[in-house]
Amino acid sequence: MIAALFYNPITVSFNSELWLLLPLCAAVGLIYKAIRVEYLSQLLIEYVKLLAYMAFGLVALCVLLWATHTYWP
Amino acid sequence: MLAVLLACAIPGAGHLYLGRAKRGIIIFLTITALFWSGVGIGGVLTVDLQKERWWFAAQMLTGVNGLAAWQRQKLAYQKLAKVAGESLEDRMVNEKIALVVPAETVARAYSGVAGLLNLMCIFDALMLSIMGVRGEPRPQDDKPKPKPKSLANKEAAT
Repeated sequence: MIAALFYNPITVSFNSELWLLLPLCAAVGLIYKAIRVEYLSQLLIEYVKLLAYMAFGLVALCVLLWATHTYWP
Repeated sequence: MLAVLLACAIPGAGHLYLGRAKRGIIIFLTITALFWSGVGIGGVLTVDLQKERWWFAAQMLTGVNGLAAWQRQKLAYQKLAKVAGESLEDRMVNEKIALVVPAETVARAYSGVAGLLNLMCIFDALMLSIMGVRGEPRPQDDKPKPKPKSLANKEAAT
């Protein structure tokens, strides 16, 4: 079953595509902070902060694009 | 330079070599999980030299992960080549390995970004080795504190 999982593609709907950005953001944030923080004890808090910034930025961008698409003459 | 070579071959190995074991493990687990999540979503044709050269270049930056996935893709193409009669695209559809949007976008983004993240880690390992940094920096509390002025004056008088 595991071999089939990595052999055949799984079905992804267009609705869930945007949600799949979140794990990507989480991975990017974790790697970035793992090499940027000076002390590892700061990693978790810095990572959570960055993740919040990224999520907020993406939501803001979505709202902006939606508003442009909806209200642009 | 060994750190850079190790980081190219196995994500996180460069940091491990430089004495930053925890960071190395975090890098290894995250990049490997992200890459194989992409391959899990997109299947065996996620890594494809013929169709997606730029994504392929990014995917190969994951070192052994990318090479393993490429090997699997080559084996899948060899298997398809044995089936006679139909076009390659038809054979892919019949084998249920054809990669279509949006799974294609997600799969290639995951695996390609994993490679680009490893490039960032390779660059970090290069910088650390050029600067001669080994191990984790000491916590600030371990640094020697300056002596109080009164004590320093007493010592100077004696």
